[in-house]
Amino acid sequence: MVTLNTKNVSGGTSPDNRKAAAEAADATGNEAPHLSVRNLGIRRGGRWLVRNLDLDVPRGSFLAVVGPSGVGKSSLLACLAGILKPTEGEVKYRCTEGCLHAPQDFRRRTGIIFQNFMLTPNNTVLSNVLCGRMGRYSGLRTLFGFPKSDRREAYAILDDLGLGGYLHRWAVEISGGEQQRTAIARALFQQPELFLADEPVSNLDGYFSGRVLGILRQEASVRRRSVFCVLHNPEFVARFADKALSLDPLNPEGWRLRDVR
Amino acid sequence: MTDPAARPTGEYPELKWHERLNVLNVSLLIFLVAVVLSSPVVKGSGRDLDYLGNFIRFAGNFFPPDFSAQVVGVTLLALLETIQMAVMATFFAVILSFPLAAAGAQTVSPKWLVIVARMIMNMIRTVPSLIWALIAVAVVGANSLAGVVALTFYSMGYLGKFFSDAFESVDVEVAKSLRAIGADPLQAFQHGMWPHAKPLVWSYSLWMLEYNIRSAAIVGIVGAGGIGVQLFFYQDYGMWDRFATVLIFILVLVTVLDFLGEWIRKKVTNRTNRPALMG
Repeated sequence: MVTLNTKNVSGGTSPDNRKAAAEAADATGNEAPHLSVRNLGIRRGGRWLVRNLDLDVPRGSFLAVVGPSGVGKSSLLACLAGILKPTEGEVKYRCTEGCLHAPQDFRRRTGIIFQNFMLTPNNTVLSNVLCGRMGRYSGLRTLFGFPKSDRREAYAILDDLGLGGYLHRWAVEISGGEQQRTAIARALFQQPELFLADEPVSNLDGYFSGRVLGILRQEASVRRRSVFCVLHNPEFVARFADKALSLDPLNPEGWRLRDVR
Repeated sequence: MTDPAARPTGEYPELKWHERLNVLNVSLLIFLVAVVLSSPVVKGSGRDLDYLGNFIRFAGNFFPPDFSAQVVGVTLLALLETIQMAVMATFFAVILSFPLAAAGAQTVSPKWLVIVARMIMNMIRTVPSLIWALIAVAVVGANSLAGVVALTFYSMGYLGKFFSDAFESVDVEVAKSLRAIGADPLQAFQHGMWPHAKPLVWSYSLWMLEYNIRSAAIVGIVGAGGIGVQLFFYQDYGMWDRFATVLIFILVLVTVLDFLGEWIRKKVTNRTNRPALMG
């Protein structure tokens, strides 16, 4: 109970956090932030998960979201993805041309790695990955398949993730770790401006965990794509993230944004 | 802890007589009463007939079956027509069933439409294929078209129900997730739902084809084409040796179909019967 009170002091509206948010924006110069979250509140199942969340995330940063199970990390990502409507506050994305978008209008450019993968079980690994680019083509264009160049590109990504031999297997026929890598390949193939990854390495061994987070890290640093990643392993957070947003299970306003590097 | 039933009483809890009246026991009792009340129908004509002798005499007419080239040729042709009727009827029924199935699937349609569609399908199924054939013969005349029409209607009742069950069994979460990464509704259906429904839809269609070939052999009795016409003709003229030939051919065809259909349907669907994808 005492800790609850002390954490309350460093809550969302405290000057401490405001400063951290401002710093995040300044990390890569004076560029306008890629994502702005203002006064975000999420209420689910009769209780507040997060309140008064303010974030300004510059393009090309890797932000880890941490906190114990059930604290609302996935709900936060769902809000950022436009799947869940925030109870209060707003989320805005700034596209490369500078205009602001609501998450719902940003779907094409948002690559999501779902916690439970959300692959089509009776579809091949290749088709599942190709689904990543459906936002680029019309339904009529993809009715009879994707362009050959796309298929080759998808193969290259899958091969890189050790799935080159599983191209024509159904998603349901491969192991959990392989399914997760397929879901990651789908997001990478999409070439989004922004990655929302919900525990993307939960089913992977040490080698592939490092590979996948390394790839996401590179997407952020080299290609200037922003990465939001729910992570449990503090070692990974220290190795790959720029910033860590930790949510507090006892106090919805007790979120903290800290520098990792 | 406060539940009185959980407290030890030391007394053996005997069931009261009315507590034993579950649906199973009551319906079993009603059935046994019905058996007693129904016994008059097994009395037959009441005359003293030689049942075994009658059977041997009748079955004796079947032997030897007439395998002359003329009979076999006619039978094979009629068999071909039977299969063709079933193929066409299944084809039309599959196409016509899709809108009906979509209307009858709770995940796709509003509730009132689901009720209406399911009611139509139930009504279609209640009418036996032979009655559909009678109606069709009255409308399009005594030929194989009547058989196709009759079986199409009959199959629609089944396929509509099977397909809507297939649509309902599909997890809509994946399709929703695809929408979240930019897919339009057509793409979400094609890549998120259809792969799941496809093996089921195809397996049901094959089953229907199998079933229709069997039914097509019968609808000829009322004149709707196929091998049933042959069967009826030979029976009418008492040519039991030829009748036996036709029966043997039908038996072989249906047995082969049964094995083949079972094998294909297993191959098609058992890839989907693996442990669930999402934990």
